[in-house]
Amino acid sequence: MNRDTAPTDWKGIAMQKRIASRYAAERRFKLFGLGAVLLSGAFLAFLLFVMVGNGLRGFTYTNVEVPIDFKAMPLTVDASRLGDPDADRAIANAGLADIVAFAADEALGADGSKLISENAWKEVRSQIKADPELLKTKTVFHLPTASEVDIAAKEGAKGALGAKVEALEKDGKLSTGIHWSFFRNADATDPAVAGIWGALKGSVLTIFIAFLIAFPTGVLAALYLEEYAPKNRWTDLIEVSINNLAAVPSIIFGLLALAVFINWFGLCQASALVGGLTLALMTMPVIVIAARNAIKAVPPSIRDAALGVGASPVQVVFHHVLPLALPGILTGTIIGMARALGETAPLLLIGMRAFIGDVPNGICAPSTVLPMQIFLWSDEVDRGFVEKTSAAIIVLLIVLLSMNALAIYLRNKFEKRW
Amino acid sequence: MTFNAAALLLLIAGLALIGWLAGRGRSALLAGRAGAKLHSRPQYHGWYVALWLFVPAAIFLAVWSSVSPALITNSVLTSDAAQNLPAFGFERGAILSDARNVAQGAQAAVRIPAAAPLVKPYADATHSYAWIGIAAMLALALAGGLYAFTRIRPDFRARTRVEKIVMAILLLASLVAILTTFGIVLSLLFESIRFFRLVPATELLFGTYWNPQSGAAQPDTFGGVPLFWGTVLIGAIIAMIVAIPIGMMTAVYLTQYAAPAVRKWVKPCLEILAGVPTVVYGYFAALTIAPALREFAVAIGIPGASTESALAAGIVMGVMIIPFVSSMADDSINAVPQAMRDGSLALGATPNETIRQVLIPAALPGVMGGILLAVSRAIGETMIVVMAAGLSANLTANPFASVTTVTAQIVKLLTGDQEFDSAKTLAAFALGLVLFLVTLLLNIVALRIVKKYREAYE
Repeated sequence: MNRDTAPTDWKGIAMQKRIASRYAAERRFKLFGLGAVLLSGAFLAFLLFVMVGNGLRGFTYTNVEVPIDFKAMPLTVDASRLGDPDADRAIANAGLADIVAFAADEALGADGSKLISENAWKEVRSQIKADPELLKTKTVFHLPTASEVDIAAKEGAKGALGAKVEALEKDGKLSTGIHWSFFRNADATDPAVAGIWGALKGSVLTIFIAFLIAFPTGVLAALYLEEYAPKNRWTDLIEVSINNLAAVPSIIFGLLALAVFINWFGLCQASALVGGLTLALMTMPVIVIAARNAIKAVPPSIRDAALGVGASPVQVVFHHVLPLALPGILTGTIIGMARALGETAPLLLIGMRAFIGDVPNGICAPSTVLPMQIFLWSDEVDRGFVEKTSAAIIVLLIVLLSMNALAIYLRNKFEKRW
Repeated sequence: MTFNAAALLLLIAGLALIGWLAGRGRSALLAGRAGAKLHSRPQYHGWYVALWLFVPAAIFLAVWSSVSPALITNSVLTSDAAQNLPAFGFERGAILSDARNVAQGAQAAVRIPAAAPLVKPYADATHSYAWIGIAAMLALALAGGLYAFTRIRPDFRARTRVEKIVMAILLLASLVAILTTFGIVLSLLFESIRFFRLVPATELLFGTYWNPQSGAAQPDTFGGVPLFWGTVLIGAIIAMIVAIPIGMMTAVYLTQYAAPAVRKWVKPCLEILAGVPTVVYGYFAALTIAPALREFAVAIGIPGASTESALAAGIVMGVMIIPFVSSMADDSINAVPQAMRDGSLALGATPNETIRQVLIPAALPGVMGGILLAVSRAIGETMIVVMAAGLSANLTANPFASVTTVTAQIVKLLTGDQEFDSAKTLAAFALGLVLFLVTLLLNIVALRIVKKYREAYE
């Protein structure tokens, strides 16, 4: 018998060994795959853990009790006029800052005024404005501490500062509260009062403008390409440019905006308007691609039925196809908008990196956006800004993740099998 | 009185609403009176009037708001007060813009004394041009509206007309993509040509010393090779070493081994990685990864370790790209016909052998296309490298050293204080052009590969 055609000895030792090693390779390979998944998951968990760990402290702030006796140190302002628009300036001119510093020195020892934030008197001011009766009595105010004291209280510190903070803690003068001014204020040089409201409002304005431009344009373009466009060289050109635009690096859109919107048209620099226009050009291709897929998914029988009962092609699309495709289009739009909301690079180039201490009050006013605020704070050397940055990141991530979750929810809810 | 485009747009939108109501009412009334049947339903007559009212006026508004600043400046320049202005140049522009800001209420007082006499001519010209613009716009709107209104008759084919306009609007919307592409190409090309007049293109592409000085162009400081190398090192080498194996293995595990329930939960979780904003990755890389890597490098005695390293930026960028690579690989593996997989398994191959010797070779073109797209994305990424890779242009292969990339330099060149015409600023556009062309090429090649491959199994 020819040796080559002999039946395989499946039970033999050599074959058993070979099978065992193949199975071992199989197990190893599967483990590698699992490892890859776990590694990516671990990285995500680590990223979120570090950000949350750093950032949660940014939502709270250490306050110190400072009693101020306005009977002993009268503040000469007319209590009945504290509701006036210029009350802020009147109180500042009356020397409230000095009174607060003096009271802090008295209450907390020689360098007491250095332990409270240099903006602490503004907190006193807003309380006085809310309740003018305070001017007649002695009140214990909970004032924000200086940034170093806040950090020392949260993390512990060595040296004179650490000892001082420990002593204050022992006396029960320190308290921790939710840092409301972080949500109320715009950017500031002092971490004790710097907040994200300005950036948040700028982000909302910018995204709103981007949506107003990109959504109608994107949907109409998708309708044209999917429903009416003839197959010729022009429509091919449109298709190719949309697909390419979706893959162009975002910073290129920043260069375009700088050259065209700012240097050519002279639109307001660093404003929500230009930022929104830039992000609109960036998200439009994403919306077009998503909308085309959604429109494609509407079965032709619906179009045929509408045409059959006498609807015109425009009526078919606007009365039947578009309403059916809308959930899918919205899902794509939300994802595109979430991406635009997290975008920083193109906005850097149109000048949105300037320090903006005010909340923007219009679409042409200089403003900043949340990712830009994170970028700007990440450059600050002050330790107090590290936790502010992470706290702002938490806010941004919550907004973005809830947008993405909404998109997934909508997709599951409206997913149709025709 | 300034020319407030947003308010005027609202005004003509309001007029259009009135036109819509009037057109609808009139057509219904006419039909009722004549006892005739309307060709189009009343709302189409309304739309016809509204569109005629709105569209010409809106087009005029767009044109006018882009040309009127130049007209205003021209008329100011012919006034007596403008005769003492310095000749062309930066100072002249500063004086003019100062006067314009005061005249239009953007700032309270002039910052340059020479601008003071120009404020009044500016204010007057702004005022009169605003009135001209508003009057012309209203006239156009009313003329358009009246024209359409007088054409309303029961047998008027309003719907056909409206639908033609709708089609034109749809076409216009899809042209925006072409316009944007042209805008990108032209603006990059235009500024780059100005740059290449100052610095030869060969210097930018092949020079090895990068240290742009502000102000006057010094041609030998614009050598782009260190930037290109840094970009390739971070985006195409380090990031891909991280992203390709992990992304591929993730895709293989999720498509071939994982239970459907696991897959359903793990996939969206991994997609979060792609949804995290890059500025967060940059911060994470700069704050956590880079210092740890530096300590590690110092501990094992690598020279030139920096807190801003190519490795930190590359690793984090690779992680960002994992979901991208894995979903591309996922698609390509799923596109391989089930029969090929079943055939291999039926011959006695283990799943692992099937994947490595049948599925992956069959899916390879699609995977390659996906990887090229990932590379294109990595080299265009900005914030991670700006925050974590540093800004010093080093031509080094040491991944622990600080390198810089094209995108990081574009940001650096455009965010300082300098006038718009310096070689330094123009260099950013030239770099942008190079980046655009390279990513475009990668995308086209990748899409070709993916498309060709998809056809193979259909």
